[in-house]
Amino acid sequence: MKAYWKQFFLKNGKILGSYILIACIFWMLIMIILPQVFMIDFSLRTNVPPPKWGTEVHHYTVEHYKYMVYGSAKAQQSYNVVDLSVFFRTIWAAIMVTLIDLFLCYPVAYYIAHVAKGGWARLMAVSLIVPFWVNEILRAFAFKIMFGSSGVINNFLVWSGILSQPYDFIRDNWALWAGLSYAFVLLMIFPIYNAVETLDKNQIEAARDLGSPWWRIHWRVVIPHAKPGISSGCTMVFMLTAGTLAAPQILGGPSSLWFTQIIYQAFNQAGNWARGSAYALVLLITCIIFVLIVMKIFKVKLGEIAR
Amino acid sequence: MKSYHVSRLFILLFVLGFFAYLFGPLILMSLTAFNSSAFPRVMPWECFSAEWFGVLSQDARLLEGLRNSLFIGVGVVCLSVPLGLAGALMLTQVKDRMRPWYYTVIISPILVPGVVLGISTLLFWDRVGIMFGMSRESLFYNGIFLTIIGQSTFISAYTLLLFIARLQRFDPDLDEAAMDLGATSVQAFTKILLPFLKSTIASAAVLAFLASFENYNTTVFTIISESTITTVLASKVRYGINPSISALAVIIVAITLFGAAIFEVLKRRELAAAKETKLVAKGLLEKRTKKSFLVRLLDPALIMIFMITIAGVGTIYFAGTIGVDECKVIAREEKRKIIQEKVRRQQQKAMFKSAVPREDQPLTPKPEKKVKAKGTEQFKSVFDTQNLQGTPVPESEDDPASKGNDTSGNVFNPGNLQKSAGTE
Repeated sequence: MKAYWKQFFLKNGKILGSYILIACIFWMLIMIILPQVFMIDFSLRTNVPPPKWGTEVHHYTVEHYKYMVYGSAKAQQSYNVVDLSVFFRTIWAAIMVTLIDLFLCYPVAYYIAHVAKGGWARLMAVSLIVPFWVNEILRAFAFKIMFGSSGVINNFLVWSGILSQPYDFIRDNWALWAGLSYAFVLLMIFPIYNAVETLDKNQIEAARDLGSPWWRIHWRVVIPHAKPGISSGCTMVFMLTAGTLAAPQILGGPSSLWFTQIIYQAFNQAGNWARGSAYALVLLITCIIFVLIVMKIFKVKLGEIAR
Repeated sequence: MKSYHVSRLFILLFVLGFFAYLFGPLILMSLTAFNSSAFPRVMPWECFSAEWFGVLSQDARLLEGLRNSLFIGVGVVCLSVPLGLAGALMLTQVKDRMRPWYYTVIISPILVPGVVLGISTLLFWDRVGIMFGMSRESLFYNGIFLTIIGQSTFISAYTLLLFIARLQRFDPDLDEAAMDLGATSVQAFTKILLPFLKSTIASAAVLAFLASFENYNTTVFTIISESTITTVLASKVRYGINPSISALAVIIVAITLFGAAIFEVLKRRELAAAKETKLVAKGLLEKRTKKSFLVRLLDPALIMIFMITIAGVGTIYFAGTIGVDECKVIAREEKRKIIQEKVRRQQQKAMFKSAVPREDQPLTPKPEKKVKAKGTEQFKSVFDTQNLQGTPVPESEDDPASKGNDTSGNVFNPGNLQKSAGTE
């Protein structure tokens, strides 16, 4: 080990070497690892104000995790129905949004990469970047305008006679689902596009010449090749959808919460930081489990996902 | 063969639909910024005006948020670009056995929900502040400082990825050659590696700034009592919407378009340079062609950016000058006519139903509600019973006959209502 550091400083010089070392340690320790450790610690302690920290009241406990599952001791139900249902609904919605985006993006990515020609393909690929950089809040706002009771969609439906009354898309979460699928659609399409693009066209030609129908070409040739892209896209979309706060705040109906909104409330309204960090940790672990499942299913490495 | 064409057509429609889905909402939103209607909408279109941009420029909270956002953006660039570079340099030198672990840790912020990053940053610095006995006014409780740190956690990972991709093409022999020729390690770094990474540093800076500027999930926890443009925007959108938000959206879309275009140009230039270097190395090209500054400006993408800017500024400028007020008057007039027409139809219907029009019953109370105090004066003529008899009333708004206090024919005169209520 000592030899390694000697070599390291010999190669980079004292100034540069120590800079790299300090920067990396600062980033990894102070910015990534320690905050997470502190959050875990925080979530495992009782919720007391800072002056009482270090006293007997501030002891280790799992009450916040218990609360998430069983609710408060005084409650009627034996389980914390509100928080648990919000949690599972969030996970369910995130999975559905991921599948919707996959369904939307795969054909388009394939089309741009292999069917469209020259200038058109390049134009499409570049134009994808534009909505990608528009703020998440503004995208949600755009959907709020569109789905509002006097929005374009309701206007059209009433005008064309499909509906006699404007339909409340926001209350029934249509706007939220559409907005969420829209918000992260590009994080699905870029990885898939990048993966599909590297496929040799000759392989598709060969499969076609050998009489394979189009769906089998995709199933046996294109999709296996695009696997890293698909897994990367699915992970990113799932993680961002489950962890988003802006879109549910803006587009969510009055009666439906998102799991992140519960965390937000614990911090900003209830003032219960310990419970908030416990819930945040649950969210984080859920995301890690999802990443591990995706890695297992698609048999890819982490390096291929985070690209 | 026929089925092939059908499927081709189908996929083309699918792709077109996808792009409509991608751009439709943004275009609609941008259009609402130029409609003078008080609610952001495209239909019905009232007047083309830039008044909402004016409303925007007087919003103190928003301007404060914008200032903070710009400051945070610069801070994040200053922190995350050096960190990303250091992380990437470290990755090339870390022991093979350790590399997967190192990579996992350093890349993990990308895969961690932004909310979690914000919370953990807030908790950590809060704890550190207490440990060192810092006061509440100190840096560790400053929302802007915490936001810069919190955002840099994952934005550094973005820049790291850019640097890794670039460093893979770097030839370490160059570095060693410089050292062999007597350069110090710092000289080798500044003379060899930094020029090689120049364009990547530029694009990483743009990426970091954009990512910081549009971040919400992390910021909302770390910002504490300050505000950034995204938090102001979110609270505005949540509590009541008006077209000034659309106007802001247009500006932000324009800025991001601009940034994205520059990012794209830088990336393309970098790729082109890499290709050229490869050709030179293979001996296919004599030497690297040096482009003059003027030629570089002729990049089609840059020209496009330039034209779009001019078009945008021109639109806003003209929208401000062309008689918005006249248009508004016309729009009001038109609204009035539509309501007039509606009322006339309803009255005619009522005429058909009963030969004697009942004067004591308001046919539709709506118009009075919609058109405020000033409007009622103008509308009196509409409800004049003379209208019903088919004698056309002069269209002028200030018809003296209808203005008069003679309420016999004025169904909608409030006084009349009272009277009729009294008789009932």
